[in-house]
Amino acid sequence: MKLTHLKRTLAQPSKQVLETIAEIGSEWRRQKLPLYLFLGLCFNLILAPAVFAATGGDLSRTQSYWLGALMIVTIALGIYLFFVMFVPERF
Amino acid sequence: MLQGWIQIALTLLIVVAITPFFGRYMARVFQEQRTILDPILNPVERLLYTLMGVRAKEDMTGWQYARAVLYSNAVMLVFIYLIFMFQGVLPFNPTGLGAPTWDLALHTAISFVTNTNQQHYSGEVTFSYFSQFAALGFMMFTSAATGIAVAIAFIRGLTGRPLGNFYVDLTQSITRILLPISIVGAIVFIANGMPETLAGPAVVPTLEDPAISQAIARGPVAHFEIIKELGENGGGFFGINAAHPFENPNGLTNLIELVAILCIPTSLLITYGIFANNLKQAWLIYSIPFAILVGFVIITAIGEYQGNPAVNALLGPDQAVNLEGKEVRFGWAQSALYAVFTTASMCGAVNSMHDSFMPPGGFATLSNLFLQIVFGGQGTGTAYLFAYLILAVFVTGLMVGRTPEFLGRKIEKREVVLASFLILLVHPIAILIPAAITLAVPDVSGISNPGFHGLSQVIYEYASAAANNGSGFEGLGDATPWWNLTASFSLLAGRYVPIVALLLLADSMSRKQPVPATAGTLRTDTGLFTWVTAGVILILGALEFFPALALGPIAEAFQIARGIG
Amino acid sequence: MTSMNDSPKPYRVPSGTRDSRRHTPKVEMKGLYQRAVKEAFVKLDPRIQVRNPVMFVVWIGMIVTLLLTIDPNLFGTLQADVNQQRLLNGLITFILLFTIVFANFAEAVAEGRGKAQADALRATRSDTIAKKILPTGGVQEVSSTELRRGDQVKVVAGDMIPADGEIIAGIGSVDESAITGESAPILKQPGTDIMSSVTGGTRLLSDELTVKITADPGQGFIDRMIALVEGAERTKTPNEIALTVLLAVLTLVFLIVVANISPITGYIASFLDGTIGAQAGADLRNGASVAIMISLLVALIPTTIGGLLSAIGIAGMDRVAQFNVIATSGRAVEACGDINTLVLDKTGTITLGNRLAAEFIPMNGHSLEAVAQVALNASVFDETPEGRSIVALAERSGAKATFDPKLAEGVEFSARTRMSGTDLDSKEIRKGAVDAIKGFVRSRGGYIPNALDEAYERVSKLGGTPLAVCQNDDIYGVIYLKDTVKPGLRERFDQLRRMGVRTIMLTGDNRITASVIAQEAGVDDFIAEATPEDKIDVIRSEQAQGKLLAMTGDGTNDAPALAQANVGLAMNSGTQAAKEAANMVDLDSDPTKLIDLVTIGKQLLITRGALTTFSVANDIAKYFAIIPTIFAAAGIGALNIMGLKNANSAIISALIYNALIILVLIPLALRGVQFRPLTADQLLRRNILIYGVGGVIAPFIAIKLIDVILPFS
Repeated sequence: MKLTHLKRTLAQPSKQVLETIAEIGSEWRRQKLPLYLFLGLCFNLILAPAVFAATGGDLSRTQSYWLGALMIVTIALGIYLFFVMFVPERF
Repeated sequence: MLQGWIQIALTLLIVVAITPFFGRYMARVFQEQRTILDPILNPVERLLYTLMGVRAKEDMTGWQYARAVLYSNAVMLVFIYLIFMFQGVLPFNPTGLGAPTWDLALHTAISFVTNTNQQHYSGEVTFSYFSQFAALGFMMFTSAATGIAVAIAFIRGLTGRPLGNFYVDLTQSITRILLPISIVGAIVFIANGMPETLAGPAVVPTLEDPAISQAIARGPVAHFEIIKELGENGGGFFGINAAHPFENPNGLTNLIELVAILCIPTSLLITYGIFANNLKQAWLIYSIPFAILVGFVIITAIGEYQGNPAVNALLGPDQAVNLEGKEVRFGWAQSALYAVFTTASMCGAVNSMHDSFMPPGGFATLSNLFLQIVFGGQGTGTAYLFAYLILAVFVTGLMVGRTPEFLGRKIEKREVVLASFLILLVHPIAILIPAAITLAVPDVSGISNPGFHGLSQVIYEYASAAANNGSGFEGLGDATPWWNLTASFSLLAGRYVPIVALLLLADSMSRKQPVPATAGTLRTDTGLFTWVTAGVILILGALEFFPALALGPIAEAFQIARGIG
Repeated sequence: MTSMNDSPKPYRVPSGTRDSRRHTPKVEMKGLYQRAVKEAFVKLDPRIQVRNPVMFVVWIGMIVTLLLTIDPNLFGTLQADVNQQRLLNGLITFILLFTIVFANFAEAVAEGRGKAQADALRATRSDTIAKKILPTGGVQEVSSTELRRGDQVKVVAGDMIPADGEIIAGIGSVDESAITGESAPILKQPGTDIMSSVTGGTRLLSDELTVKITADPGQGFIDRMIALVEGAERTKTPNEIALTVLLAVLTLVFLIVVANISPITGYIASFLDGTIGAQAGADLRNGASVAIMISLLVALIPTTIGGLLSAIGIAGMDRVAQFNVIATSGRAVEACGDINTLVLDKTGTITLGNRLAAEFIPMNGHSLEAVAQVALNASVFDETPEGRSIVALAERSGAKATFDPKLAEGVEFSARTRMSGTDLDSKEIRKGAVDAIKGFVRSRGGYIPNALDEAYERVSKLGGTPLAVCQNDDIYGVIYLKDTVKPGLRERFDQLRRMGVRTIMLTGDNRITASVIAQEAGVDDFIAEATPEDKIDVIRSEQAQGKLLAMTGDGTNDAPALAQANVGLAMNSGTQAAKEAANMVDLDSDPTKLIDLVTIGKQLLITRGALTTFSVANDIAKYFAIIPTIFAAAGIGALNIMGLKNANSAIISALIYNALIILVLIPLALRGVQFRPLTADQLLRRNILIYGVGGVIAPFIAIKLIDVILPFS
């Protein structure tokens, strides 16, 4: 009896958490831009050390972070232009 | 000097003279009209079709044709890769060569399948005779035939006909065009001293000391050589390619090789003219790459004739010609001519070392690779030229107030996407991005001559791969896994992406209903339009690659002029 | 019968520039430019910028240089004075900002003009009270927004017509100045093929009408006109889409080229460090800094055409509206430029339309007065202008209306019988086409005089229409209806011919008449004795050859042909069915408006093509300005053929030129390249010289000038 009561009290907050996550997920599915920005920033965190290593110490850490960001922006621009090429009606 | 110029002029004249006849012959072959070889070849072809399971009359759509190209090439790629890896246990291996490294085998296989024949190896010490003739020689015929088939499909689509059947075109390219000429050519080559033997290297006593022997490499070279030039392949049996006395013994073989290099790409333009029923337009279009070719030959030849100022002071006035890396039997003129011919047509065979050319030669050969349409590669060059033409038609058509149309067919969004993609986008992606990465990553570039020339070495290698040429500034240390793998990317991207795009383009054009011409139609067979097209080609080509050229050959030229380095 | 000032619209002579004949409502131009400037800055919002690929790249570049202004060493420490770098980066940011602003300004001005027109139109249309006729027969007052297709409303004098519709009862005169600008009222009546449709927002001046609504709220003509000129809902035309693709490809190519310069220069700089010295390497690295690379990118991508492309399209549609034509899509306007063949009616289009009786030709022993009398009798019930002119001519010849109309019965004209007339007592008086009258007389046992055929030929050879007149079985004579070709048409058809457009005239007249008129007007081909089916057949057969066809029409029987044609221009005076079937409506009901539309269609394309060529040609000079100066450390400074002072000066000069050229070309983009009716080759030669060669040379001069003026050392 006490066990089931405990289970029920635990189930409530976890259900709420699940609901919140589902809500955030569907919101992100509709508005893709913040999602991509976030993913981009995360990816930059991985990229920056690579840039830092590749330039062999010429650049400081912040500089290589910004350089990584610039490379991601350039590639994103490239993808955007590819998109325009194949679906120009949307522009 | 005059003799050199006369040789150049004569060769060019012969090329132009052959064009109409050969073009007409190819048109007859691919329009299923009667040709001289019919009695022998028709039954042979029918047998081949039955064996392959091909229904000869079945036309393919753009996607079907492209798929056929991709599948057949993929199968052949695997086939020759396996031959390479097992070459140790396969016959005809007199020097007992083992399998090459996997990356070299992969690069070589891809390189030969794509008609490039970029060689990061020296033939006589890497591949056995069997590999050379069963894998490489075989690929030379089929990759060349693939190119011709694609060009014919493109021409058919452009002129409103169905694209045809890839396997039929492939077969006919080999049986009616490549094989007959190769057989005759090989016999002439053998008569001129090229070896054609399965015996191992000849062990001969040296002249200086008969007690010491030298092993002189030889092999089944003559048949290899003719298809190497005719099919725009360029892969040499030996490491120094057509500079080797066994691959290019004398002036006659050199002349035959030169003509063989350019004959198919030039003639395909006339074949187009016959299909389109507009020979005037074909010759006008022909004049654009011809003019560029002559211009580049002149630039290169002058550069080589004037030689290297840093060295001329030491050599004295009568020897002030750049003979570094050249064969004496060819001299400055024939070497310059060969270099320009081979990069214009994407053959890639060399009778001198391009790495030793003066900056003007570097500029001309590199520009040939960038433009890709100075007659261009086997079949694909013709198609690329028309892609430029379609873009030129698009812009000029707008300027006369009509929806642009080429051969009566409207140029709409789909055509602009395909044409601009294949001719403007693929090349920079396949050349500049790998080159930039190679230069950024430390210690992989293999540059042997640091500075502007070194930059040219790297860019040339990728340009050669992307354009499916295969020649190289071979001071570059490119026999590394890095080069093998990155160049493979350029090879594949530069070959198959444009082929698929141009087949789809041809398909799309063939399905359109032609609009009859009126006074308001822009005529594409006028001198004015030809000038405009030439302008479009030069401007767009120059614009894409000007920075690379500026920091490579141009900077090197200034450097030499200033007397530094 | 009351006669009103109900003459059809006065015909406009097509001479002089169309500019002087515009009739749109006066638009509020004051403050247009101020509003556009404000709008240009509002449009800097990235969500708006993202729709223009080329300018979006510039926008991103501007943001990066802005960051670099704050911290010039953001992407790597440059061996140069930080403050000088900051100044340079700030200057670049500023110029890039104005590049985008100028492009936005162009679009804003184009949109602004359209909005002004749209606002003027909106003002004429307000929610009115409509008198809806209920199924029970009563009348209920509802708001016009509640009306739907199929509803019937009653409109009395003084009311505004609540929505587009078709008159089913009543006659009245309507003031259509709200949409056409013409203050002369138009007589509207039901049933006929013309003058039976009304547009919402116009005002009924007299009498009463019962109108069946044919458009839902928001779908009416004024709404469509507003949508057209506003440009906000504009979809791109096919050629614009293809051009956008090309611009995107060019932008992408240059992005790739510029992005890959940095590792290349990095390598060369290391080499220079080792050979010439650290300063040379540092100079080269500075020359390839991110700010300068962004500047190079912006200079190379086709910003001139990229920034002006939308303005060109909007201004083009605006010009269509200024010619008083409503187009349902830009696609239709663009199609006008590609037309191969134009199909035109004879009556009312090529000719003045109202054939007037000029002469009576008596025969069979009758006198002129007798013929006049019979002709008058036959035309008593004929309400058409031809009939009226016959009556007028007859009265001038001494005939008088002697009988009581109530005792007689009128016989209406039908396309089948091709006759009309009066039945009086036992007399059947008919007039009509000669062969129709022949058949009528023969069927009553009459005799056909030879003079009839002679008169027929004579009149036809003069280009007129012969109408035979008979009473029972007796042929009295022939009426010569004269038709004149509108002045100035010959020149216009010549223009069309030079542009490669073929003209075909369709008429119900006989072959001889048709050929004479065709000759006089200068059309390329004609089809005589044409039926409505013939119209569609002509269109179909031309289209089967792959040609593009335009045609004009106003009647319901024209609707199938209008729909079939690639460009269908309906007359505003026509039926609703015709207007629905067509893709354009001419508010002036002037069929020769097609010629103007062809010009506008071509102008749109020429402007786009010319500016694209100019944009790409400019790149040559920009390359020669920037590359040799920024890479001077690599020894290629000798390529600096313009002799620019230094790298920074070169960059700034090039960017200033890039921005200013957009501003300078705005008038050209909005006005359109002036169209000349030349052949394609002549046009190409001319435009290549101006925009191609000019585009190569002009920036060399301009950038050098700017460089000289700039105070860089």
